[in-house]
Amino acid sequence: MRILQQTKARQQQAFGEWRYWGLLLISPWLIGFVVFKLIPILSSLVLSFTDFYLLEPGKTEFVGFHNYLVALKDASTRVVLYRTILLALSIIPVQIAASIFFAALLSHKKLIAKNVMRTLFFLPSIIPSVAFTFMWQGFVDPTSGWLNRLILGPLGLSSLNHFYGREAGNALFILSSLWTIGPGMLIIMGAMQAIPTEIYEAAHVDGAGPLKRFLTMTLPLVTPAVFFTLILNLTAVFGGAIMLDRGFTFNSNLSSFDELVYFTVFRTFKLGAGTSLAWIFFIFVMALVVTLFVTSKYWVYYPEPERRS
Amino acid sequence: MIMNKQWPGLFQKVRSLLPFNLLVWLVLFLYLLPILSMLATAMMSTEQLGDKHSPLYPARIVTYSYHGKDYQLYQVPFDGGVKPLALIKPGAKSSQFIDPQHPEAGPILWKGGWKTLTGVYEFHINWQNFTILFHSLPFPAMLRNTLFIILVGEIGVLVSSILCAYGFARFSLPGGNLIFYILIATILIPDKITTVPTYFVYVIFFHWRGTLYPILLPLFFGNAVYIFLLRQNFRSIPVDLEEAAMLDGAGPLRRLFSVILPQSWPVVVTVSLLHFFYMWNETRVASLYLTTTDLSLMPISFAVQTYQSRLPIQNVIEASTVVILIVPVIILFLSQRMFMQGVIVTGAEK
Repeated sequence: MRILQQTKARQQQAFGEWRYWGLLLISPWLIGFVVFKLIPILSSLVLSFTDFYLLEPGKTEFVGFHNYLVALKDASTRVVLYRTILLALSIIPVQIAASIFFAALLSHKKLIAKNVMRTLFFLPSIIPSVAFTFMWQGFVDPTSGWLNRLILGPLGLSSLNHFYGREAGNALFILSSLWTIGPGMLIIMGAMQAIPTEIYEAAHVDGAGPLKRFLTMTLPLVTPAVFFTLILNLTAVFGGAIMLDRGFTFNSNLSSFDELVYFTVFRTFKLGAGTSLAWIFFIFVMALVVTLFVTSKYWVYYPEPERRS
Repeated sequence: MIMNKQWPGLFQKVRSLLPFNLLVWLVLFLYLLPILSMLATAMMSTEQLGDKHSPLYPARIVTYSYHGKDYQLYQVPFDGGVKPLALIKPGAKSSQFIDPQHPEAGPILWKGGWKTLTGVYEFHINWQNFTILFHSLPFPAMLRNTLFIILVGEIGVLVSSILCAYGFARFSLPGGNLIFYILIATILIPDKITTVPTYFVYVIFFHWRGTLYPILLPLFFGNAVYIFLLRQNFRSIPVDLEEAAMLDGAGPLRRLFSVILPQSWPVVVTVSLLHFFYMWNETRVASLYLTTTDLSLMPISFAVQTYQSRLPIQNVIEASTVVILIVPVIILFLSQRMFMQGVIVTGAEK
């Protein structure tokens, strides 16, 4: 703690040359933030309280919460919102479990050709969305797809016939979401490798088996990385822009909320209604993120409370 | 003698390592199965895709030449077993076959629908799908567009993000950490919120529909994720070196280029790779601002996406996915060690 304060003092002393160097250096981002984020966000917020219709901009009036109330009363909007959030919530646990499992495999000391294996496990995460969709559609194709012919067929399971149906579509979506876990997997793996081996040896002497060691030592120690991955995946699923994000790849099949917003804005040109839909979605997502941050102190392990950047 | 001592050791080592690695290979095989499936389909002929009995690998039915014409071989069941016969006259109820072993015996009549028969297959790669693709899309022009977008974008995003990250890492800012928290918060905001106003400013105010400005311009104002990654890395470099440079009279930019950057090129490479993968994938912004008919500006991913939506032949579509995949996969394998180390550091620094 004292060392930290000293460095900070030295830093301030050393770099106190001209007060506004920092501001000048970050000015590209600051300008970009105001122009590409803040102004669009505020104007979309203002738009969402009006009945702005692109073909008759002159008649625009302030309508208060009208758009929001209409959207929340509309049964089809509620269904789409519910389905989108439910789908995202079912994807994230699967993604986290798979990330932890793969990270454990890849940081295991018995693994041969570590670098090649890591690259191969990471590979699906860099596949362009253009390739991604059709690759999975080909894979689950009822007649020629390998999913039926190689896995479901020999196991005697009824072959997936209605791949365009909603259940099969959701299953496919969850399954294919495993192909976006690369960055999170590597981050958890890095955290696993950073655990000192001595504590494992001590536990080994005490007679703890591999599974017990994993559950009681490895897992709690990597919770910070798991939390980071959770935020990463959550943001990606809800359309934020984090590392290697591909967005909702299957949105047209699932008529997710994205699709509804784009339809309202770019087909019916009702900008007021469209932006209010986007804001409703955003509020739900933010509520979720805030809940996660608030509950994080109960399950995320922080070694030193004062070590925060 | 040495051999005798080494062999049991090696055997034991293999025996202790093998079960675990077999498990990993099985998991990997299942995980990457759609990629293998795609590769196989991309090399299949359209006939094979329609043939239920065909193998999973790209193949064609073996042919037999009889009186100067080629006939396909099928496995025909008889009382005594199954014989590979050449189909010379297909019929719904009964068909005529020739036995390649005894062609002089003449045609054999077999009762039953020939479509229920399984062919005699041999491994054969059908490159035609790729030929069709290369004839229908202007690949040199598309690659040139993509390279232009990626190059300009890389320069813009790297220069602006590095400057901003240095500002966040080493200088005191008005408002303290608040600006940094805003930076983090912007990462979490979905595009949806900002898409609508930005779209109408670009299209109605600036008339930028059908140009590359909406794709390239925002990149020159830094990217919050990259700024965060670079800042975390810059902060881990000891300040002593910079102090020494300062005593020699080096200003902030000089210190950034001569002290900070030489020590942080792994993270700079990671960021530029992340941006490369992102731009190679980019179709969302392109599909909003570029017209689908004008090929002269199209980056490769968007052009292939447009092409795929117009062409419902599965094997050609899979061939196009193979083409779009090759470049990022090669880049990933060339840069594997550094890139993955960079991503790991990202999480560790949090």
